[in-house]
Amino acid sequence: MQERQTFIYKLVLYITGFLLFCEWLRPLESISETNDVTVFFIYATFCFFVSFLQIPWYLSIPLKGLGLAFIIDGLYIAERIFSPDWFTVIFEQIVFNIQMIQSQEWWQMTPLFRSLLFLILLWLMSYLLYYWFVVAGRMLFFVLLTLIFVTVTDTFTLYDGKWAIVRTFILGMVALGLSSFAKEMDKESIAFKGLQKAHVWALPLLAIILCSSAAAYASPKLSPQWPDPVPYLESATGGPGPGGEGNGTVQKVGYGEDDSRLGGSFIQDDTPVFEAVVDGERYWRIESKDTYTGKGWEDTLEEPVTNMDPGNITYETFADTVEVEEQTALITMSDQASFRKLVYPYGLSSLIRYPANYDLLVHENTGEMDTVKGDSPAKLNTAIINYDFPAFEYNQLREAGDDDPQEIRDRYLQLPDDLPNRVRNLAGEIVQEEENRYDRAKAVESYFSSNGFEYSTTDVAVPSGDEDYVDQFLFETQLGYCDNFSTSMVVLLRSEGIPARWVKGFTGGERVDSRETSFTDGVKDVYEVTSENAHSWVEVYFPDVGWVPFEPTKGFTNSTDFYTDIDTDDSEDSVATPEENETPENDMGNPQQMEEEEQNSDSAGADGSSDQNYTWLWVMLAIVGVAGLVLYVTRFRWMSFFLIWKYRKNKDENTYEKAYLYLLKLLHHKGIKREPEQTLRDYANKVDRHYQSNDMRRLTNHYERVIYRNESQYSHWPKVTELWENLIKKTLS
Amino acid sequence: MTQQTFLYQPKISDVLKNIRKVMIGKEEAAMLSVVALLAKGHVLLEDVPGVGKTMLVKTLAKSLDCDFKRIQFTPDLLPSDVTGVSIYNPKSMEFEFRPGPILGNIVLADEINRTSPKTQSSLLEGMEETSITVDGNTVPLSDPFFVMATQNPIEYEGTYPLPEAQLDRFLLKMKMGYPSAKQEMEMLSRTSNGHPIEEISAVLTREELVGLQKEVAEVYVDQTVNRYIIDLVTGTRAHESVYLGVSPRGSIALMKAAKAYAFVHDRDYVIPDDVQYMAPFVLSHRMILTSEARFEGHTSESIIDSLVSSTSIPVKRNISE
Repeated sequence: MQERQTFIYKLVLYITGFLLFCEWLRPLESISETNDVTVFFIYATFCFFVSFLQIPWYLSIPLKGLGLAFIIDGLYIAERIFSPDWFTVIFEQIVFNIQMIQSQEWWQMTPLFRSLLFLILLWLMSYLLYYWFVVAGRMLFFVLLTLIFVTVTDTFTLYDGKWAIVRTFILGMVALGLSSFAKEMDKESIAFKGLQKAHVWALPLLAIILCSSAAAYASPKLSPQWPDPVPYLESATGGPGPGGEGNGTVQKVGYGEDDSRLGGSFIQDDTPVFEAVVDGERYWRIESKDTYTGKGWEDTLEEPVTNMDPGNITYETFADTVEVEEQTALITMSDQASFRKLVYPYGLSSLIRYPANYDLLVHENTGEMDTVKGDSPAKLNTAIINYDFPAFEYNQLREAGDDDPQEIRDRYLQLPDDLPNRVRNLAGEIVQEEENRYDRAKAVESYFSSNGFEYSTTDVAVPSGDEDYVDQFLFETQLGYCDNFSTSMVVLLRSEGIPARWVKGFTGGERVDSRETSFTDGVKDVYEVTSENAHSWVEVYFPDVGWVPFEPTKGFTNSTDFYTDIDTDDSEDSVATPEENETPENDMGNPQQMEEEEQNSDSAGADGSSDQNYTWLWVMLAIVGVAGLVLYVTRFRWMSFFLIWKYRKNKDENTYEKAYLYLLKLLHHKGIKREPEQTLRDYANKVDRHYQSNDMRRLTNHYERVIYRNESQYSHWPKVTELWENLIKKTLS
Repeated sequence: MTQQTFLYQPKISDVLKNIRKVMIGKEEAAMLSVVALLAKGHVLLEDVPGVGKTMLVKTLAKSLDCDFKRIQFTPDLLPSDVTGVSIYNPKSMEFEFRPGPILGNIVLADEINRTSPKTQSSLLEGMEETSITVDGNTVPLSDPFFVMATQNPIEYEGTYPLPEAQLDRFLLKMKMGYPSAKQEMEMLSRTSNGHPIEEISAVLTREELVGLQKEVAEVYVDQTVNRYIIDLVTGTRAHESVYLGVSPRGSIALMKAAKAYAFVHDRDYVIPDDVQYMAPFVLSHRMILTSEARFEGHTSESIIDSLVSSTSIPVKRNISE
């Protein structure tokens, strides 16, 4: 009976420990690149189970090793398990990784080896937790550690520890309650057979846990008192912002692909993306998006994709009727740039001089051009671009009419069904006095320059619940960056029946130099485009003209050329002219504009490789931290064994003194305290009463002779050493 | 455990055994007396009459094969009654010196505070010097010379309290205390047919006693332990309840007492435990408390106790010194 009770107690305690340990594994999927932690769960369960059985080490070690081998085999190794080849693979992997570790190239470590190390860690943890929970009965430390781990991962990573903290709390209470029970029993020397009345203890414990958990869960809690530190940390370490979530957190500026949830603040990032040697400031287009969801943009027109010869690109955004000037530009992507797409100016016609074997996969509707080498996406590091730089004629635009092709109407007039009516009404108000499409578009574009709109990359709202992104910006916050302005303009235009789309890319960047180039005559300007120049703007469709860029964002200027043809001049031409940039050369040097220029939407996906490195850095730091803690907590244990080994070799009085003082420290740590005024003899008696032996008295006698008699105890050394080791072991057990 | 280098040390247990035969439940007092005897110090026994002070001294004296003298101090006792006197011998026509009781080996000075300070100092000066001067003649004291003085607590009427400067001539000051009921029962049954003091005989010769005293002097005191003694003694000087702290003579006395104590316990070196044990007996009569402290109910003993339990013990070797 007693045996069974003890067993159940231990089992419950150990299972609690295991579940707590699981809280350490759970976040792995979100905080590291581990895709599936199931296998680790399985192995941990297995190891914990084997540890609990308390079978002899010569059975348990092979069992656990076998489990480890099967998992490694199943995950990574094609060879038949335990065949000579299999061992060769393992051996080579280990040798390779050890070399990598020695050369400190951590990122080179293979997944197999990392998994192997992690599995071994699980193995060790199963021992450690068995010792902590069942043998030593000291779980407070681990419970605290788990709580700290969960809170830290929740705070500093994307992991959502909301439920983890509740689980940890409940498990911790159960573990501590049980151990406190066991300690009381032990203290009062009650045998476990008294446990027929275990419910007397268990029921109140359960009730307290349930009540306190329920009360804690139900009671109101303060919202976070600090801003989310993740983006700050990410930017401090140079990593990218988090992707996709967009839940009111701060993000990092840069080009990204996911625009499904816009909004939120940005941290500036001046990481260079590319350098352009070009005739003037240009929009560097990447893609357009067509479907507004009320929260952000989706791309429903990614297909069809055509493989184009970079030497002859047939993608067009405007018609042949537009006046163009043939120009050439050289772009050089920076090392930090990570996207595998072509950035191009309007009128792109061909690439000349680009690395061999590159192809372009052009999404015909969005203009997104994936750079591929062979079959896989590859970064196009440098290319010379031929393009026909367009200059739109005002009258042509004004006279373009409203006769849009059906295809354009179908695609670019989409609006979400639940778009608030006041947005539509506002659009009507803005354009009601304008007669043609161009003037209407201009009216909307200039609407943002007044009416209280502010440009800001911080404190930008994120629409929550059924709020609409555009509605929120137009009527509530009026504070935002290019995404807010450009999206709003598209929505306003569309609600007035004008086909428009949302375009992403980069602004012209900052002119840093001018130099002669080999690929064309004359001097060209060198622009540096950084992540801060990521931008979004608007393209409006004009029949017979095509897509014309507009720039609604406050503080930005349109890098496209507009002109008035004298022949077709109307009385209206002078109205629009002052707003446009006639010649790029003139405006690009304007320092005020440069300063204002920055930001974009998006998030995520930027620098994949450094992302990995930093994840590993964190994981490494965490492991080192945990290892440090474990070492600290068990310091007396390993120190003792180290000292036993060390003192065996040194036989002088200093060693004796150190060893004895260490023993005092150890005993003190174990709760047998010596007051400073207590004599050694007195203390030795106390220790011996505690352990019911006379070892300490005997050892102290020798020690007294060393310090108070100044006498060598060399002749007694073996006996003294034996006494000392016995005491150390007794103390540790 | 000790490597046995002492020739005479085992004799001590014989003496203690002898005393045990007579004195019941007074092991500590007996041991302390022996400690003082071996340390060449003197003992002041302070307690109410009838608790066995005189009996202890008589038993100790009888256990030693030494010249035992007793002085009963009374208010009319004269210094010459202590030191001796020169008397004119008509036969030889010379003054002859008649030695007083102070010239014995073991002197019991009973009720020392009943006599006048003048007579008291004749004894106390002799204790400090190794000789006395009578009528211009310097007479050396015997060796060994051991005084055990008893006194009634000074609160009793008709007493002349010993001045502080003279009190520290005594190595130890101790109290006897009442026996427990059980011990008193045994005492009664033992004394019913003849006093047991009649049955004991000397177990230690004079030479052996001198030898023992020499051996005690050889007991080793390490610098670390000396340091501890100094810490304790300076503690009394800095203590807020103490008007006058223990003098350096007190430090020396404490060291000597600790040596003898270690020796009695068959150890040839002193450990802090010895010092701790001896401190109240050696130090308490060597300091004067402030009147505030006395009013608050502190005694020298309680001050020493608090000092002992607040002075750290050296547990490392004192390598620098």
